[in-house]
Amino acid sequence: MASRFGAAAAAATAATANPEQVLFTARLNNIRPLVNMLRTICFRPRASCAINAGGLVFTVEEAQSIVAQAYLRTDLFSAFNYNIALAKEQLADQNQDAEPANDDDENTTHIALPLDSLIECLMLFYGPSGTAAGGPGGAHGGSSGIQSTSAMLTGGNPMDLRGASIAHIAFNGLGSDFELMLEERGVISVCRMATFYPESPVDLDFSRFPVVQQLIIRSEWLRDAFNELDPTSEAVAIAISATAPYFRISTVGDNGSTEMTYSKDERILDSFFCSEEQENRYKLSLILRCRQALALSDKTKIRVNQRGFLSFQFMIPTDADVSFVNFLYAPLVHANELEH
Amino acid sequence: MRFRTLVTNANLLLRVVQSIDKLAKSAILKLTPEKLHIIVITDVDSGLQLWSDVAVNALFSDYRIESVHGNEIYLEFSIDSLQRALKSAQGALRTTLKLAKKQGLPVLSLVIQNQSGTGRELTLTQDVPVRVLTPQQMDAIREPLVPDSQVHIMMPPLNSVRSIAERIKAMGDRVAVSANRDGEVTLRVSNDLVEITTFFRGLENLAYDATQDANPTPDRAPTEFYTAVVDMKNFLRFLQSYHVAPRNIVCCIIEHHALVFYVYIGSAGYGAGALNDQTCGSLTYFIPVRQV
Repeated sequence: MASRFGAAAAAATAATANPEQVLFTARLNNIRPLVNMLRTICFRPRASCAINAGGLVFTVEEAQSIVAQAYLRTDLFSAFNYNIALAKEQLADQNQDAEPANDDDENTTHIALPLDSLIECLMLFYGPSGTAAGGPGGAHGGSSGIQSTSAMLTGGNPMDLRGASIAHIAFNGLGSDFELMLEERGVISVCRMATFYPESPVDLDFSRFPVVQQLIIRSEWLRDAFNELDPTSEAVAIAISATAPYFRISTVGDNGSTEMTYSKDERILDSFFCSEEQENRYKLSLILRCRQALALSDKTKIRVNQRGFLSFQFMIPTDADVSFVNFLYAPLVHANELEH
Repeated sequence: MRFRTLVTNANLLLRVVQSIDKLAKSAILKLTPEKLHIIVITDVDSGLQLWSDVAVNALFSDYRIESVHGNEIYLEFSIDSLQRALKSAQGALRTTLKLAKKQGLPVLSLVIQNQSGTGRELTLTQDVPVRVLTPQQMDAIREPLVPDSQVHIMMPPLNSVRSIAERIKAMGDRVAVSANRDGEVTLRVSNDLVEITTFFRGLENLAYDATQDANPTPDRAPTEFYTAVVDMKNFLRFLQSYHVAPRNIVCCIIEHHALVFYVYIGSAGYGAGALNDQTCGSLTYFIPVRQV
């Protein structure tokens, strides 16, 4: 491999080295699903990344009120290698007194990295910027509207099948760079990104309280609803009830109020469950951060827990079955507290 | 001072002017009995400079030039004005270019003759205001003196270099352009968070003749790189002017000094061997190395 890549090999030793000697390596034959998934959560420049034998989870949070996660299982990659023995060594080095986990799944490497740079690097061979659908921080401009799924998947240019032929990823533990090697038509790009200790994760603790409301809705309905929301409104209210109207989304803004209601019709709402009637309000600008994930998904599972925390789970079709992107929101004012 | 000629290849002239359109607002036109030179200087010290020449007989016929300074004429003109004028000359029956005075001011006048649908002749005149430079002013404009370069290599197709450069430009304001004598060119950009190096391989080197080099470098292995670090802006400006012969571009690196690109106009075929055949002109881009 070294001779094939010539000078490139000198610059990307981890990516071309023997996978057994490196903490984490992976290969992708098509980077578009990875790019699309990462772009849905890139509303802040930095993300934390958890790497283990099951895959990668990228997490982005803002204002302690929104946590977004993209789950990239190993079957999304054409090769995935997480060296558990090396991981155990490194984790032991970091926590001298902790016991190394016996359960392989608990051996996880946590880092923080510049997500926006990672996405820019993955898109190096996409062609001149401006042809791709929006930029990595697409959710910043909620007014850009919802793009069609196919436009998102092909980067806005349906006939453009380029991107990068092959991508190799490599990471050798905290203190080393996150490496990406892309190859397209004989041109090779090696990208090295700085990694950091992750900040203490913001845990909105969704599972600590029972889920009182749940439904699955076809994403196109939710996209329509989001398009109707008044962007001048501070908040958006989501009300779910066991009696009609079952599911209502509303805003109050400079231009008046808007309200969308959905019946329990199976064609629209699936798996409907409601044990406690609640209306909760969330910051609209944060809710709108999930629009790219919504645009890519077929269906969305909405859950609300007893404390009014809201979870959107977007089910995104990819080559390997369905992939998930989650958005978790803290409510503005919890409904129950208004009674006190 | 007299200048008048028939334009036989308005398309080539337009493409040369289009190539320099993104570089600056104005340029210098130096007309001699044998050649037409276009010179663009974006910034004397730190900017990109373009020096070009095209053989007169590749563009014109019945070429007449007369002046007291060795039959040379020096003009400064607006690139955009000349470009627009040349666009209207495309596909014309007959086009004449001449130096004239309109309302007391010097202009380059393009007289374009076309035939309308009914067979009548239409004449359109486009005047491009110019400033005439004195020989002293022209003398002050000198082609940069550059030491012999250490490596000459044919560039990969410019549009793929350009699309990558457009993507990496957000990562830094300078780019390290490197080449070796083993057919490889690399671009490197870095900032605090990320470093990107792109490798182009399988390129053709032009033979390096150590006996021609006044200061031959001590032997470096063919795979070792020579590097020039230049402003990203200047590099992008060069990459955006690709209207002429985007496949026949030679990159020369003079370490710590400059990056020089030679674009050969009118050569048929591709590769180092084709460069001297039927070449009727060239564009030379000088990009100085960034001073810290």
